[in-house]
Amino acid sequence: MKTVKRMLRMHRIFVAQELKRMMEYKGDFIVGIIGFLLGQFFNLLFLWIIFRQIPSLMGWSLEQLVFIYGFSLIPKGLDHLLFDNLWSIGHFTVNKGDFDKYLTRPINPLFYVMVEKFQIDAFGELIMGIALICISLPSLVIEWSVLKIVLILVTIPFATLIYTGIKIATAAIAFWTKRSGNITYMFYMVNDFSKYPIDIYNNFVKIVITYIIPFAFTAFYPACYILTGENPLFNVGITVVISVFIMCIGIIIWNKGITAYESAGS
Amino acid sequence: MIYVENLKKEFKKVIKDPGLKGSIKALFHPKKEIITAVDDISFHVPKGEILGFIGPNGAGKSTVIKMLTGILTPTSGECRINGKIPQNDRQNYVKEIGVVFGQRTQLWWDLPLTETYSVLKEIYEVEESAFKKRMAFLNEVLELDDFIKSPVRTLSLGQRMRADIAASLLHSPKVLFLDEPTIGLDVVVKDNIRNAITKINAEENTTVILTTHDISDIELLCKRIVMIDKGKNVFDGDLHELKTKYGQMRELTFETDTRDVKNVLSYKEHFGFADDDFSIEADGSLVKIRFNSAVVPVSEMLSYTLQKISVKDMSVKEADIEEIIRRLYKQGV
Amino acid sequence: MRKKFKIYKPFINAGLQEATTYRANWIFFMLGNILGCFVSYFIWNAVFISSGGENLNGFTMPQMVVYIFLMFLTTSLISSGGTYDIGEEIRDGSIAMRMIKPISYNATFLFQEIGNKIMTICVLIIPMVIGVEICRTVFMGSVQFNIAGFLLYIVSCVFAYLINFFFNICFGFIAFIIKYLWGANMMKNCIVGFLSGSVIPLSFLPDILERIFLFLPFASLNYTPVMIYMGMYSGLELLFYMGLQLFWVMAFWGLSKLLWHIATKRLCVQGG
Repeated sequence: MKTVKRMLRMHRIFVAQELKRMMEYKGDFIVGIIGFLLGQFFNLLFLWIIFRQIPSLMGWSLEQLVFIYGFSLIPKGLDHLLFDNLWSIGHFTVNKGDFDKYLTRPINPLFYVMVEKFQIDAFGELIMGIALICISLPSLVIEWSVLKIVLILVTIPFATLIYTGIKIATAAIAFWTKRSGNITYMFYMVNDFSKYPIDIYNNFVKIVITYIIPFAFTAFYPACYILTGENPLFNVGITVVISVFIMCIGIIIWNKGITAYESAGS
Repeated sequence: MIYVENLKKEFKKVIKDPGLKGSIKALFHPKKEIITAVDDISFHVPKGEILGFIGPNGAGKSTVIKMLTGILTPTSGECRINGKIPQNDRQNYVKEIGVVFGQRTQLWWDLPLTETYSVLKEIYEVEESAFKKRMAFLNEVLELDDFIKSPVRTLSLGQRMRADIAASLLHSPKVLFLDEPTIGLDVVVKDNIRNAITKINAEENTTVILTTHDISDIELLCKRIVMIDKGKNVFDGDLHELKTKYGQMRELTFETDTRDVKNVLSYKEHFGFADDDFSIEADGSLVKIRFNSAVVPVSEMLSYTLQKISVKDMSVKEADIEEIIRRLYKQGV
Repeated sequence: MRKKFKIYKPFINAGLQEATTYRANWIFFMLGNILGCFVSYFIWNAVFISSGGENLNGFTMPQMVVYIFLMFLTTSLISSGGTYDIGEEIRDGSIAMRMIKPISYNATFLFQEIGNKIMTICVLIIPMVIGVEICRTVFMGSVQFNIAGFLLYIVSCVFAYLINFFFNICFGFIAFIIKYLWGANMMKNCIVGFLSGSVIPLSFLPDILERIFLFLPFASLNYTPVMIYMGMYSGLELLFYMGLQLFWVMAFWGLSKLLWHIATKRLCVQGG
């Protein structure tokens, strides 16, 4: 309990530091947010243009697609907002030997890395995600219940941790290979599969994104539960299980990696 | 306090042939080689000592420091500091040490310096009252007041180094590791930093391990040095011992009217000096000779010289520590 | 000319060295992008199934597959990192160092990148082209490979690369205004990606937009080479689009010179 309290306190302090830093470079952060907003905007434009050609995509309406897409941005954006610093581990921190710093501090290095930065760019995704959900909701028929809302609220943090866990695992590879940023990138490209209904893929892709690199649980399955109310045990339950599992794997790889860390220079 | 026993560290390295062809070859068949950066190093440091840890570039100094600070895991052997093995309980261990890497800063780059200290206060869980006292002390020793409100990126190198040292001392560590703390600094700032180190060592009995390439750092700060080369321990003892053991070089300087002293005297042929043991420089009437007094005693050199030519002013000096270390680096031991 | 090349040869070498040192990382980057292609593939597949038609805006499904992978190949071939590099130098002031060296900054950078590109070409182009050709042969029932078309594609790619190179250098000067290069670069990539047809073929856009976009420099980047490879352009049309590419090469080359000139002046005024 004491450690949890201390962790929360540390997190607050780091976020405060980051906010102070942002005040020094206000304009730049607006650029970042707009950048991410634009990225999502063009993807949606793509969907909209496609739907000018067809009435529905394998039985999914534009509104449903927009909802799934919007929902997928929430866990992604949360992970991006809170734990973006993990990216830099694989891209340059380990390679340049800057990881030394985290090892000479009396706090858990993984925790330190995760909370050190606070990535405001993520608001681009979060704003877009919420906007899309709000736009699509009125034209969707969804049955609401207290249980459903509770389950959704439970799913979101776990879906976020799927991203975080995969980032931890792939970033940790850098302890052996010096650079692994693009391995993380590769996994993130897989995540694009989960923004669309899983029905459009062949069985191979379905199995991969459900059981091997389970990004489908970050967006499609939970969104599916919200839309249809079917299979909460699978759509929500497995999301939680997978999320915990991935986090555990990530932490194991990370802890092994730290002992293999070679620093840089002589 | 600090016990290092048979410490060893190996790295894997990819070998690449030079040129275009080599690059393409490395793309398909990377060759790997094991490099021993630190090979069987042992030494002890008692509490309160300032130890100079020296060696040429690439000798493995930083690797040893990184193992002592818990950053790297040794391939074999062990180090024990305050009875703790750094890698075993790293998070508790690092509370007792302070680390400064001269080439890197631990300060928050975009924010005023005070911000770094207030975050470090939280990281190391320093009490508010202790923190205030500590800051007052560090302010006094390292003179931080002038720039403590400025963003770190605007600090000069000297200011930044002082700030970094203060950051590493905030939690009153028992051991302080300084990796090249005076690199790139001007004489005045170097002096300032040396004084601070001496003062902290004297007042708090902090054990200090210092790596440096600046010999005056060692002369002014350390009683004892450990020298390593190619990952191996080559010397461990106090400075005085180094001088008597390896400091047989003497510098003989005189003025003479004789032209072409080098040929007239031909010391090298006469005494049979090896290349490393002898050198001569003549600049007009001023002649400077360095020689190894273990090979030829000073008295013999003097009488031979005086026999051959007439000499005006003459002096014999002990070689300084820099000269000794230069010789050691060059030849190994 | 020969002597000039000799000066720049070390830069080609340096670029290649850099590329091979982090080869594993590079391979994962490419794999990630190929996965992205597969996402597009499945979406288009679903679109064609859902539409029930054979032909959408001039594309059949097999053509769309070829389009997606050619787009990826072309994007990899013509990519250029100038924005970030020049921007970083402007930000930390090291751009001043460029002015005291007796060689052209743009040229050193260009050659370094070409060195870097050799790996892309070696590793990617042959398997990709073979893959695409096998697909086309299977889909169409006969060999579609056309050596003249392929050579024109290569020439068009060279033009496209030069446009991209100079455009990125020009965009890099934005570092004088925006410090957060990563964000600015991302914004640029999103816009360029869409306008150049990498997200969706331009013929899917409303007619008027398509016509405007075709004249913009971005279509000259990816869209023109891919269309040429696929044999969608011929005769006068082909000549026109390649001429347009050449025009944009000159335009951005000129603009980069001009911006460079202004930047030099500005640096002098600020006192370095």
